[in-house]
Amino acid sequence: MAKQRDSQSFKEQIAAWPLWVRLVLLAALVGVSVLLSKWLILLLLIALGLWPLTLLLGLGVLALISTRRGGWTWMRAWLTARLGQLLVPALSVLSALIIGGLVIMFTDQAVYQAMGEGHIGRALGLAFSNVARAYAALYQGALGDPFSIISAIFRAIGGEGLRPITVAVRGPSGSLVQSVPYIFAGLAVALGFRSGLFNIGAEGQIGVGWLMAVIVGFSFTGLPAVIHLPLAILVGAIAGGLWAAIAGVLKAKTGAHEVITTIMLNYISFRMSEWLLCGPLEHVQGTCRTQEIAASAYLPEFLDHPVTIHWGFVLALAAAAATAWFLFKTTWGFELRTVGANPNAARYGGMGVAKNYIFAMFLSGCLAGLAGVSQGLGITRNIALGFSAGYGFDSIALALLGKSNPVGVVGASILFGVLRAGAARMQSLAGVPTEIVQIVQSLVIIFIAAPAIIRAIYRFRAERAEAEQAVFLRGWGS
Amino acid sequence: MTAQTTSIQTRPSELNWKDLLITLFILAVGGIILVLGGFGAQPGAQATFTDQMLGTLFSLPSQATLYTVGGLCILVAGLRLVRTLGSARSFLNWSLAFLAAFGFLVWVTSGTQMNFTGMIQSMLTAATPLTLGALAGILCERAGIINIAIEGMMLSGALAAVAFAGVFDNLWMGLLAASLVGGIMAAIHAVLSIKYKVDQIISGTVINILAAGGTRFLNLRLLEPAGLSTPGQIGSIRIPLLADIPILGPILFDNPPTVFIMLILTLVINYVIFFTPWGLRMRACGEHPRAADTVGVRVNRMRYISVIVGGLVAGIGGAYFPLDIVGTFEDNMTRGQGFVALAAMVFGNWNPFGGFLAALLFGFADALQVKMQILQPVLPFLNISIPPEFLQTAPYILTIVVVAGVVGRSRPPAEEGKPYEKQ
Repeated sequence: MAKQRDSQSFKEQIAAWPLWVRLVLLAALVGVSVLLSKWLILLLLIALGLWPLTLLLGLGVLALISTRRGGWTWMRAWLTARLGQLLVPALSVLSALIIGGLVIMFTDQAVYQAMGEGHIGRALGLAFSNVARAYAALYQGALGDPFSIISAIFRAIGGEGLRPITVAVRGPSGSLVQSVPYIFAGLAVALGFRSGLFNIGAEGQIGVGWLMAVIVGFSFTGLPAVIHLPLAILVGAIAGGLWAAIAGVLKAKTGAHEVITTIMLNYISFRMSEWLLCGPLEHVQGTCRTQEIAASAYLPEFLDHPVTIHWGFVLALAAAAATAWFLFKTTWGFELRTVGANPNAARYGGMGVAKNYIFAMFLSGCLAGLAGVSQGLGITRNIALGFSAGYGFDSIALALLGKSNPVGVVGASILFGVLRAGAARMQSLAGVPTEIVQIVQSLVIIFIAAPAIIRAIYRFRAERAEAEQAVFLRGWGS
Repeated sequence: MTAQTTSIQTRPSELNWKDLLITLFILAVGGIILVLGGFGAQPGAQATFTDQMLGTLFSLPSQATLYTVGGLCILVAGLRLVRTLGSARSFLNWSLAFLAAFGFLVWVTSGTQMNFTGMIQSMLTAATPLTLGALAGILCERAGIINIAIEGMMLSGALAAVAFAGVFDNLWMGLLAASLVGGIMAAIHAVLSIKYKVDQIISGTVINILAAGGTRFLNLRLLEPAGLSTPGQIGSIRIPLLADIPILGPILFDNPPTVFIMLILTLVINYVIFFTPWGLRMRACGEHPRAADTVGVRVNRMRYISVIVGGLVAGIGGAYFPLDIVGTFEDNMTRGQGFVALAAMVFGNWNPFGGFLAALLFGFADALQVKMQILQPVLPFLNISIPPEFLQTAPYILTIVVVAGVVGRSRPPAEEGKPYEKQ
C-alpha cells in the first residue's frame, strides 16, 4: 500500500512541475522516439509476430507490478476488470471465425464432389483440411512465421545485419499497414457514434481525402517536405471533413437522416472520381490513374522494403490519442457526447444540437479523409480507379467492436488489419476469396450489436447495463 | 432566466431550411431549363415525339416549351418564397417535378425525334426495382420497423435469382428464389431488431454488409467456377390483344414479368394496407403499438410478418437486375437503388401509389440519363456534352433533396424504429 501511495505521489509530483518543464520533457521524449523510431517499429513488429511471447512478457511485467501493489488478488482483480470488457468482443470474433470456417466448408466444390461420390468421410476430411489450410494461410500471411522470426533474430545477432529480420517481419508489417486506414476510419465512425450520428459515408470521405491529398501531392513540386507533406495531409483531411459536413448540415438544418445522405454522397463521390480519374486527371491514356505525387509529399517509411510500414501508422495512433483526449477531456467533446446520448437533454442544457451535429460530422469526415490521405501518401502515391477498398464499410464494424472507444478502435483495427492482410494470402494459397473477411465482419457486428446471442451460446449473464450508447433511430425526420 | 426560456422555446422566426432547400432546388432547375431553352435550343427547332405504331405523336417548338416550363418553375419557386402554399404544396411538387422532367426531355429531343412510348416504357422499367423496394420499405415501416436493408435484400435476391435460374435452368425459379432469399434476409433483420432489439439502423447495415460481401464471395467461389453466373435475360411477355392498344398497349402490356409483378403488387399492397382489417392492424402497430396490443393485435408477430413480406417483395426487385437487365451477376449490381427506393418511399409519403409515382420520377431520371448518353446533347456556352458520370449522379442528388426537403413534411409512422415491449 505504501508503494502505491508512492506512485500516486509521483504522478502528483509531475503535475506539480512547471508547465515548461513538462513540455520540454515531452518534447525530449518525442524527439528520442523519433530518432529511435526505426528500432521501436522493428521491436513492435517482432512483438506482434511473436505475440504469444509478448503476451507472456506482459503477464510477467504485470506479476512484477502486482508484487509491489497487492499481490495475486490485485492482479486477478485487474485482469478480470480488463478481460470482462473483452469477453463479448473476443467471443464474437471467435464465433464469427468459426461460422466463417463453416461457410468455407459449405462452399467448397471439392467437398460437394466427394459428397456426390458417396465418400462422406473423405468429404468431411477435405472440408476440415481446407478450412485449416485457409486459416493457416491467413495466419501466416498476416503475422508471419514465428519460428523464422526467431531464427532471423539469431542470424542478426550472428552478424548478418537487419535484412533477415525485415524479411521475416513483413507479415506483421503488412497487417499494421492495413490497420492504418482502419484506425482512421474506425475513429471516424466511433466519433460519429459518440455524437449520435451514423456516418456510413466514410467510404466516400476516404475517397475525397485521398484524391485531394494526391492532387496537392503532385501539383506542387519543389516545396520542402516539411511544408508539402503537412499541407497535403491537411488538405486531404479538410476535404473529407467538408464532404461529410454536407450531411451534417442537412441533418442539422432539415433533419435528413445521415444514413441516406452519406450513402448518396458516397455514390456521388464515386461517380465524380470516376470522371476525374478517367478524364481530366488521367496521366497516361487508358490507365484511369493520376500521376505520382512528388517525393516531398511521401509519408516516409521506417525500414527498407519489403517492410512497407510508414509514418501513417504513428499518425493514426496520434489521431486516436487526440480523439480520446477531445472526446473525454474537453468541454466540446463532452457536448458532443451529450448530444449523442440525449439530444433533448443537450438542448435543455443549452447546447446547440445543430451546431454539434455539423461539427461532429466535420470531424468524423476529417478522420475518414485521413484514412485516404495515409493510403495516398503512404502506399499508392497516386489514386487510381477502383481505389475504394471497403474500408469505410468495415469501419462500422470497427467502431462497434471497439465500443466507440479510441483505444478499442485501435485494437479492433489491428485485428481487422491482420484479417485483411492474411486474406490476400488465403486467397492465393487456399483459393478462398478475400470476401470471407467481409462475411466474418458482418457476423462480428451482429454478435456485438446483439450480445444476447453470444450470451445464449456461451451461457453467461450480462454483468451490468451498457454505458452511454448513441441512438440512431429517431425516424427519418427527427 | 431569459436565456433559459429562449433555449426551450421554439423559434418561429427561424428560417425554414426545408422550404428554402426545395425552393432553391426548384429555382435552380427552372434556371437551368431557361438557360437551356435560351441558348441550347436553336430557334425554331422542334422536338418530335414518335411512336413505333402511330408514327409522329406530337411535336413541340422546343424553345417555347423550355421557356414555359422554366418560367413556371421560377414562378412556383417565387410563390413559395412569398407565402406557404398549404394543401396545394403536395400537388404542386408533383406536377412541377414531372413538368421539369418533361422540360429536360424536350431539350434532349430538340432538333431530333424520340420514341415517346419507348421512353415511357424504359421509365417504367427503371422504376420497377425502385417501386418494389419502396413497397418493401412501406410494408416494414408501416408496421414500425425501419428498413435500410432493402439494398442488401435486393442484392442477395439478385444473386439468388442468378444461382437458382442456373441450377434449375429456369428463369422463373430464379425469380421465386430471389423472392425467398430476400425474405430470409428480411427475417434476419426482423429477428435482430424485434427479438434482440438491436438498433434497427445497425441491423439494417449488417444486412447490407453481409449481402455485399456474401454475394461476392458466393459468386466467386460457387457460381463462377460452376459456370452458373450467366443465366440470360427473362425477356418480355406480350399479353395478346391488350398489347395491341396504341401507346398504352406497349407501355403496360408488353413488359418483363417483374414489371407486371410490380404493377400488380402496387395495387394489391395498397388495397391490403388501407382497405383490409389486417392492414389497419398492421398500421396500428406502426402508429401506436400499445393501443394495438390492448385490442388484441399481436404486435411483434405482425411486425415479423410485415418485415418478411417486405423482404419477399424486395427480393423480386433484386431479381430485376440480373434477369431483366444484364442477364448475369455483377458485384454490387444494385448500385444503391435500394436507398433510392427509400427516398421514393419517403417522397411517396409511405403510400404505395405515392411510392410508385416517386419511383417513376427517379426512373425517368435514369431513363433520361441513358438517353442523354446516347444523344449527347451539347451544353450551351461550354460546347461540350455532359460527361455521363455527371448524369449518373442525378438520382442520388435527387434522393438527397427529397430526403432533406420532403421528410418531416410527409409524416412517417409515429412509432417506427422503436422496439415494442409488452408490459
